[in-house]
Amino acid sequence: MISWLAYTVIALAGVSVVWGLVTAVANKPPGKAQLIYAGLVELVTLVQSVIAGVRLALGASVPETATTIGYLIGIVILIPIAWFWANNERTRFSGVVLAVAAMAVLAMTLRLLVLWTPTILQ
Amino acid sequence: MNEQRAPVRPTNTGPGRILVAVYGLFAIAACSRAGVQLATRFHEAPLAYLLSAVAGVVYLVATFTLAQGSQTSRRLALVAILIELVGVLTVGTASLVDPAAFPRATVWSSYGIGYGFVPLVLPFLGLFWLWRTRASSVE
Repeated sequence: MISWLAYTVIALAGVSVVWGLVTAVANKPPGKAQLIYAGLVELVTLVQSVIAGVRLALGASVPETATTIGYLIGIVILIPIAWFWANNERTRFSGVVLAVAAMAVLAMTLRLLVLWTPTILQ
Repeated sequence: MNEQRAPVRPTNTGPGRILVAVYGLFAIAACSRAGVQLATRFHEAPLAYLLSAVAGVVYLVATFTLAQGSQTSRRLALVAILIELVGVLTVGTASLVDPAAFPRATVWSSYGIGYGFVPLVLPFLGLFWLWRTRASSVE
């Protein structure tokens, strides 16, 4: 994991969470900009997973290899699924669906940071 | 307020979409967790890891049945959510009373503390939603 990239993902995802909740409270479906932004978050997440995957393949050692790989794969499928689920019925609730996915990406990135550098919590 | 005469309101629309999203998230989380645990270190804690797998299947069934929203799938969703409720309460309590029996965490350990207690709240929301969308609802 590259720390600054992980923190970038966390920050971008955090904005997506807030944005989704704000449009829900304002009783609006997610707008075009919001959907494009979700795509951007997905792109950066994907870059992170690819870099981490390459590093693992090149022999970077982590204590929990299987779990780390699971997270690296799982984290990139959430936003696309939420994106289609949100687009399928565009109401205020679609924004919350996007927020849920972004929240999961945020939490999983934090978990990945810990998995990658176990000393961070010790 | 327009649909109060409908015999049953679909579970997969409006706020129900959030519920399906959260259930889907937990289905992915629990199933992957169980997959990794069962594949790499089943011998360490067979009970906990099998429970993870059960939790994963329960979430998966709840996700698809709530997303489908038909009359039949409502019944399946109810069964899945009741199993989920019993599971999180039983495993949650057992993991606190007898931690030795659960040396490895599952989604339901300590009432889902590792997942922000969402696993504890989710079955109640699920039951509430099934109740809200039940047939002949008086609005």
